[in-house]
Amino acid sequence: MTPLPDAVVGAIAGVALLLTVVGLVTYVTLLERKFAARMQSRVGPYRVGWHGILQPIADAVKLMMKEDIVPREADRRIFNLAPVVFLVPCLLIFATIPFAPGLGVADLNIGILFFLAVSSMEIVGLFMAGWSSNNKYALISAMRAVNQIISYDLPFLLAALIPVLLTGSLRLSDIASAQSGLWFIAYPVLGQLGFLAFVIASVAAENRVPFDILEAESELVAGFRVEYSGMKFALIQLGEYAHVLGTSFLGALLFLGAWAGPGPEWLGPVWFLAKALFMFLVITWIRWSFVRIRVDQILQISWKLLLPLTMLLVMATAIAVVWRGAPGV
Amino acid sequence: MTLEVAGFWVLSLLLVGSALGVVLTKNLFHSVLWLALALTGTAGVFLMLDAEFLAGVQILLYAGGVVTVVVFAIVVTERLVGTRLAHTSRRVLIGGGVAALFLGIMLNSLSRIVLPTSRVPMESDPTRLIGTAVMTRFILPFELLAVLLLVSLLAASYLARPEE
Repeated sequence: MTPLPDAVVGAIAGVALLLTVVGLVTYVTLLERKFAARMQSRVGPYRVGWHGILQPIADAVKLMMKEDIVPREADRRIFNLAPVVFLVPCLLIFATIPFAPGLGVADLNIGILFFLAVSSMEIVGLFMAGWSSNNKYALISAMRAVNQIISYDLPFLLAALIPVLLTGSLRLSDIASAQSGLWFIAYPVLGQLGFLAFVIASVAAENRVPFDILEAESELVAGFRVEYSGMKFALIQLGEYAHVLGTSFLGALLFLGAWAGPGPEWLGPVWFLAKALFMFLVITWIRWSFVRIRVDQILQISWKLLLPLTMLLVMATAIAVVWRGAPGV
Repeated sequence: MTLEVAGFWVLSLLLVGSALGVVLTKNLFHSVLWLALALTGTAGVFLMLDAEFLAGVQILLYAGGVVTVVVFAIVVTERLVGTRLAHTSRRVLIGGGVAALFLGIMLNSLSRIVLPTSRVPMESDPTRLIGTAVMTRFILPFELLAVLLLVSLLAASYLARPEE
């Protein structure tokens, strides 16, 4: 049997990854609902299948069968295009993540830069959705989103730079394998503070509670996606959860040692997935524990606290690396 | 036709088309979206030249950053929903003349030199080269730029401050 050409292997890997991610994202919603229910002394989805195990599939089918409504005054072309523009970057971020040594679609030498750049494109789709709906609530939500992205992209970038500095490489697999001895979260002081900043900034960058002013149900109904229904709504929802999950994977890779863990080598991806789900649950835990904070408080935290703190951290990391003579733990 | 040539043509069509979209659309918001597409297309050009780092930075700063700021500017200057902000092109003739002149100069100078058709292989990782150059040889301009940006940031926030 002749080996398949590279392009075919790449295409198969891409499709396989896409299907895995979509499946994972669908089930992560169930995980979140169950987790939230437990936190509030409820049972959560229970009826569809054993302990509600088929609930996400039922939801997907329901959303597919719903009527697709486009408001008459909406900017039709942009309104239809927005969910796709929103979803594509959210799924693309998974392309560079290595799930085990050598197991990834594209292990670019600018891996982390690719991740950050592509996930910053998400805001374009979001704003398209909010603007084209021609709805005051949607537009206010989109404006708040832009506001928040401007404020929290920088701390997020800087926090993600700390492991990069400690490794001395932008390639994600290098960052992961640099932690085979010691996870970066265990790096004295810098690791813990960096992780904390990363978690706060990523919760804000994903627009989740307590930073969810852009969808604040009590003020803005559902925010920028208020006019979307059926499959388009499902696409936006999918993109949002894919972004959260992708950031969880990134956090697990940057600070929690990616595939490092006890046991044989083939357990690596399992460890990685477990750590990513742990990150996801931390974010969910924050979501269901805190109340929403005001817009001005969000901006204060970003510009007066998080940005200077992460900048200092990056500088301190650089000094530590130079002082020790070489990157690495 | 190799894949590279095909990619080049697709990218050129995309770039020229979206750039025309920016100036020809009446709707200001549509213009911004065309601009986002044009800036992303530029990243594609960098990618074809094996400059992944520049492509990444292009997307991060321009498509992600600049477009966001432009959108923000439109939103805070426009009345919210209802009237759509339109922009018209005045002095089309003069603009067209300048564009044609520029095209002529470019074509003229490009036709005089012989450009190599085969790509020169990269000697080392461009990302590393850029990093080393910025941090050693060009450290002074780099730092001066940072100070300049800081000054403009401070000035902007001073100007935007409400009167006491």
